[in-house]
Amino acid sequence: MEERRYRAVSGAPIALRRRQHSASCWELAVRGPRLQLRSLSAVTSAVWLAAYGLFVLSESSMVLSAAIFITLIGLIVYLHFVKIDQESLLVIGSLGIQVTSSYASGKESTTFIEMSQVKDVVINEAIHMQKVIYYLCILLQDPQDPQGVSEVVPLFQSSQPRLDCLMEVYKSCQEILEQRKTAPQSSGIK
Amino acid sequence: MAAGGPARRAHNVCMVSDFFYPNMGGVESHIYQLSQCLIERGHKVLVVTHAYGTRKGIRYLTNGLKVYYLPLKVMYNQSTATTLFHSLPLLRYIFVRERVTIVHAHSSFSAMAHDALFHAKTMGLRTVFTDHSLFGFADVSSVLTNKLLTVSLCDTNHIICVSYTSKENTVLRAALDPQIVSVIPNAVDPTDFTPDPSRRDDSITTIVVVSRLVYRKGIDLLSGIIPELCQKYPDLHFLVGGEGPKRIVLEEVRERYQLHDRVRLLGALEHQDVRNVLVQGHIFLNTSLTEAFCMAIVEAASCGLQVVSTRVGGIPEVLPENLILLCEPSVKSLCDGLEKAIAQLRSGTLPSPETVHNKVKTFYTWRNVAERTEKVYERVADEVVLSMDERLNRLISHCGPVTGYIFALFAVLNFLFLVFLRWMTPDSIIDVAIDATGPKGAWTKQYFLGKKGRVKEEILNS
Repeated sequence: MEERRYRAVSGAPIALRRRQHSASCWELAVRGPRLQLRSLSAVTSAVWLAAYGLFVLSESSMVLSAAIFITLIGLIVYLHFVKIDQESLLVIGSLGIQVTSSYASGKESTTFIEMSQVKDVVINEAIHMQKVIYYLCILLQDPQDPQGVSEVVPLFQSSQPRLDCLMEVYKSCQEILEQRKTAPQSSGIK
Repeated sequence: MAAGGPARRAHNVCMVSDFFYPNMGGVESHIYQLSQCLIERGHKVLVVTHAYGTRKGIRYLTNGLKVYYLPLKVMYNQSTATTLFHSLPLLRYIFVRERVTIVHAHSSFSAMAHDALFHAKTMGLRTVFTDHSLFGFADVSSVLTNKLLTVSLCDTNHIICVSYTSKENTVLRAALDPQIVSVIPNAVDPTDFTPDPSRRDDSITTIVVVSRLVYRKGIDLLSGIIPELCQKYPDLHFLVGGEGPKRIVLEEVRERYQLHDRVRLLGALEHQDVRNVLVQGHIFLNTSLTEAFCMAIVEAASCGLQVVSTRVGGIPEVLPENLILLCEPSVKSLCDGLEKAIAQLRSGTLPSPETVHNKVKTFYTWRNVAERTEKVYERVADEVVLSMDERLNRLISHCGPVTGYIFALFAVLNFLFLVFLRWMTPDSIIDVAIDATGPKGAWTKQYFLGKKGRVKEEILNS
């Protein structure tokens, strides 16, 4: 297992952890920056100060309790649905690719793509929020047309690593996909 | 560095225009062909345009020509809206990640081209502008465009025009120093326009007209010529290719004089069909009222047709006198010219289509255009970019007291915006794009032959 430091497109520090379980099984995880206590307390105090200002003006204690609830619910929603701590990719040559994103609250969402559906893993370019970025994506095989691509699944959407990090992930993925190509029948045995 | 030897530098050129494929037209093919020839000469070229429908993002064309289709709002006639500022973040990102050294903007109708020039100057990049059209001086819209052009071009490093008439026009409109204006004509691909005498019917005489059916192309003149000549020559046929608001005028003429069998209106033509229409005729008629450089007559001459045209704009410069009959833009003069051409055709004194083609094919080639454009780039690369205070001085002294100060203010605001963007996302955290073309280009023959999806990964593998 090795861990290397990179940067995201936004400039935030991220870490790429690579672990090789066997010759045809890689686990790649990109960990984004942790939730900073500093920014959390800054947001909380901003909301509470605003609420206190309103309280002084309106003299209704409802404002204060509303502020407390808003902060709490906001925090839960943020941790549970927005903030992604880690995105990982488990590539198993004979099975498929499992994409997992772990939220800051511990919730995990997982999708699995069967190897027979995977056409290729490529790095592409896209225009995203006034930026032109590189991103890694899985191309899914079109069942009707052996040459066609039915869907593009973008990876690491929340951490958005820069090109040097993507290249590392890309190389590991290609290593396994190459093995599949040299032994094309392995998936058909089952 | 490619075949050119060690003396030549490779430039990173960014072509910017609102007009590019899939939109069809002269500017579009100009940009495409010029880019292809520059790539062949070892430069890195990319094209930036706005999104066309679902065609947005980044695409690669033949030989790794990279095209950015930016998601900007289209306002009028495929031209984007301009606020002078909103395109800065994206264009700056592209200029930085592609390490652009020269920004080459095309067409004065393109708001995006002017925006890009403005931003490039703020960023301290070298700028070149190609003007593709002629303008008047009298009506309100041209007065306004001329003013904008003055502002946009006063601090541009170099300007390219397609003909001497166009140069004269641009120098007057934008109050420029003629020293920084070069003339590089357009080109045609001679292999696309070859003569084929077997396709035409020699028992009749066919006059071909291929143009958009709009006022500017003199379609009203054409509607006067058709009945007059059809009365005089019973075996004369007209073949009209193109679409536009003036089609109704031609249909009326056809109706009134019962010429349905002799005047065929083909409607809009795809570029690849133009040659098939041209080779069916003997004489090509161009009735334009204004024209910077007429591609159509070169294409027709390349197909071996005798060309009859109005003497307007840059047309007299385009072909030598023995290949073209020039007339005044009036029905009478054009009829005289056509009669002369028909007489020559009947007496057999016209040169054969093959000889005409062989002569024309040496006149205008894209390789030659690319070579001359490269010289402009060389010259521009040695020039110094105006510093901010010089640029402001130039704007104030050159563009009149009111406009000058307003645009100087805009330039300052643009600079402040750029400073802000540099603070938000420093250049150092913008990934350098992988070159598809140019000296370190990853796009070679073997990658190009691969499937589309494989191309990118092989670039990365190398």
